[in-house]
Amino acid sequence: MKTRSAVVAILAFIGMVDALYLSIKRNAGPIPCHVTRGCTDVLTSKYSEIAGIPISWFGVGFYIVMFSLVAFKIFEDPKHPSDWLTASIFYLAGAALVVSALLVGIQAFILKAFCEYCLLSAVLVLTMFLLAPSPGRRKLPA
Amino acid sequence: MPKILKPLVVIVLAVAVAAGAAVYLSRQADQPEESTAPTHADIKGGGHIRGPEKASLTLVEFGDYQCPSCGAYHPLVKEIQNRYPQQLRLEFHHFPLVSIHPNSMLASKAAEAAGEQGRYWEMHDALFEHQREWSDSPNAEPIFVALASQMGLDSNKFMQGLRSPQLQDRILRDVEQGQNAKVDAVPTFFINGERVHIKLSMEDFVQVIQARLPK
Repeated sequence: MKTRSAVVAILAFIGMVDALYLSIKRNAGPIPCHVTRGCTDVLTSKYSEIAGIPISWFGVGFYIVMFSLVAFKIFEDPKHPSDWLTASIFYLAGAALVVSALLVGIQAFILKAFCEYCLLSAVLVLTMFLLAPSPGRRKLPA
Repeated sequence: MPKILKPLVVIVLAVAVAAGAAVYLSRQADQPEESTAPTHADIKGGGHIRGPEKASLTLVEFGDYQCPSCGAYHPLVKEIQNRYPQQLRLEFHHFPLVSIHPNSMLASKAAEAAGEQGRYWEMHDALFEHQREWSDSPNAEPIFVALASQMGLDSNKFMQGLRSPQLQDRILRDVEQGQNAKVDAVPTFFINGERVHIKLSMEDFVQVIQARLPK
């Protein structure tokens, strides 16, 4: 379980770098794409912000919270695992997966342009969700 | 060390390292790319010019009316012209990326059609300022016609312009010039033939212009 949590922590760390990079670069001119085409289109579109706040900053917040929860999970007392932490990680990853799917859908069907940094984030979120300890899987004490 | 401190230290360290890495990567990306695109281009003819004929600097922009980034740069380009009214002139060239921006060619035609009635720059500004209204529209033509009519243009002539093969050729000549200059993204700027990377900030725009003004 700890190995899976460590992998989720590493993924959250990569996500933090990705989201911070986008937040910094957003107002610094065209954002270069290396794999896909249309990074700047996606990141300057009307869907790239909520109430004037760039979505990438929400991403930064999400990854920091996720990393923090997983860090506490890794260092918790194995004899008294916290159900609250397990459930928080699982449902937070699930909620992020729904948001990521929506954002990928907007790129594919409305903007018809893809941003590789956003796709990387979606892959990270999907992997985190699959690796996140499920709250229902814990064995009940005999 | 109290048990709660361990994860807290790890979190603080991780956030600090991530922030450092992101800043480092964003600065790396700011370095001039080792691109095959030439640093200078000889762009002669074509384009639409706004500003004094004898300006010491000519800012050439290859742009696409449907490109959100071009829309984001538009107010900066206008502002920089207001700040340097005698020293700077703008030369706008069409570079519609039709594969990802299906309305971009029609938008360029709308600007050219307005130009036929002497109102190119008004339509140019209106297209960028109203970009969000027509950008995703499956049928943008009525929106362009409405903009033309708000400007008091002759609607019939404007419609003829939208379908004019001559105006389309003019746009395609701009595109060809862009391809010759190895334009690979929009907007791409040149100042007196020198390819310049300008950040989306007025401060950077001013610095770039200021550095090239004759002393």
